[in-house]
Amino acid sequence: MVDTVLVKNQKQKRARIRNLIILAVVLGALAILPQVTSEYITYVAVLAIIYAILTGSYDLTTGYTGPLTFCHGAFYGVGAYTSALLTLKAGFPFWVAFPLSGIMVFIFAAIIGYPGLRLKGHYFAVTTFFFGHFIYLVILNSVSLTNGPMGLRNIPPPEGFLGISFTSLNSSYYLILIFGILAVVFLYFLVNSGFGKILISIRENEELSEAIGVNTSLYKVLAFSIGAGIAGLAGSLFAHFFRLLHPTTFAWMTSEMVVIMALVGGLGTLIGPIIGAGIVTLILELMRFAPEYRFIIWSVALIAILIIEPRGLMGLVRRIQGGKK
Amino acid sequence: MSTILEVNNLRKEFGGVVAVDDNNFTVQEGERVGIIGPNGAGKTTTFNMIAGYFKPTAGTIEFEGKRISGLKPHKISQLGIGRTFQIARAFGEMTVYDHVLTGILAHELHFRPTPKQIEQVEHILELTKLAAFRDNLVENLTIASQRRIVLATALATGPRLLLLDELMAGLTFVEIDETLDELRMVNEQMGITLIVVEHVMKAIMQLCQRIIVLNYGKIIAEGTPKEVANNKTVIEAYLGEEETYA
Repeated sequence: MVDTVLVKNQKQKRARIRNLIILAVVLGALAILPQVTSEYITYVAVLAIIYAILTGSYDLTTGYTGPLTFCHGAFYGVGAYTSALLTLKAGFPFWVAFPLSGIMVFIFAAIIGYPGLRLKGHYFAVTTFFFGHFIYLVILNSVSLTNGPMGLRNIPPPEGFLGISFTSLNSSYYLILIFGILAVVFLYFLVNSGFGKILISIRENEELSEAIGVNTSLYKVLAFSIGAGIAGLAGSLFAHFFRLLHPTTFAWMTSEMVVIMALVGGLGTLIGPIIGAGIVTLILELMRFAPEYRFIIWSVALIAILIIEPRGLMGLVRRIQGGKK
Repeated sequence: MSTILEVNNLRKEFGGVVAVDDNNFTVQEGERVGIIGPNGAGKTTTFNMIAGYFKPTAGTIEFEGKRISGLKPHKISQLGIGRTFQIARAFGEMTVYDHVLTGILAHELHFRPTPKQIEQVEHILELTKLAAFRDNLVENLTIASQRRIVLATALATGPRLLLLDELMAGLTFVEIDETLDELRMVNEQMGITLIVVEHVMKAIMQLCQRIIVLNYGKIIAEGTPKEVANNKTVIEAYLGEEETYA
């Protein structure tokens, strides 16, 4: 008994050291990336980081708490447009518009989630699907506010401070990397906290969770809104990095892509969806030569993943490591 | 001894079907009460009303003098009533330790569990003899263990009244004996009042001081296990009426 505990502790220690080494290598690679690669790859990396924030926040809602949603791209869009319009039309600095866009989307999602989350399972999923499409149509057609299909241009970059300006590609890459790391750290602590355990209990068995005293409707709305709020922040980053917005960026395809990224990595593992975001972004770029076929190949790949390993890459890793499930 | 639970004219109708028919009963603090009856007698429906899953069609339920009928399940749990479900439904993808911890966090959320909460988890794991499984995933354990984990989690919420719905169904004799010992410990040492719905007669007769018998939603008998076992109406309800030949 004591021996097995010791072996287990040693194994855990070794696994922790190995994970730390992997983390250090990945962070190191991301830190030197703009110095050693081309501008194009840096752009792709920025997109991957923004998608990682988006998919990580999706995992909080769907992977950890349970309700399947298809409107994460819409929250991303509301955040992007809120931030862009606050800076363009109201003259707010980025550093004010950025947190406001997150708070705005949080409140927005709470208003949707409070009545919506009374619906269970597929019914809620279908509701979010239509809601996401509704948001897209609003962005597309509110020409006086969002400039509709013409999009928004000349969105200001984040204002510099301490002599650092965020007009160059490299400096804004580092800004986004820092935000990405902050978002992942925040999500990591959240899902591993007492709050996270309550969320997992809802995912595993909502009825029992209620029986032990969890106000499940409140926590579901909270998880949904926090996930949405972070997606809104990712949208704000997107708007001020690329400095132009178009409604199609936030159409159904984006919500679908978030779901695919999360599934590729493995829902409910946090690290999985983040890796998934990186891989999917990369493959989408590699397949630029055949844009019409990308999503066809994707769909086939997705079906294959769901059949072979529904828990995604993290499920495969666990299987290789000899875990039971 | 004071009354912990008082049920007055409790009634539940599903469409035209009367599942629970104007029942009255009280439970005293520290008691072990069994509810038995043939399938469909209204046992689980009664539980679901006490725990807040169903709203009674009529009647009231009072817990420690406070009216609880109509409250949400999580509110009722916060007030001090724990329950387990007929079918083992545990949080599969959690370790045993986290499972029990969740019961404590559900009542007092801390982002980092306090030392007192951790101590409480350890205490309950010891009491329920689950300490050896602490790092195992719940879904990898047997149904019997999963039920014990659900029970341990219910205990972690610090209830003063526990509703146990067929905790022993499908268990082996040895497991039933273990569960009975555990329930006696819960009742005597922790001072938790128990209401038990059970089909395993031997178990309920051994455990309970008082038994309420339901049939077609009505209470048809109430008394000590011995009284109930010899009651003519009860025997008829279970075995059918004796046919008389002229």
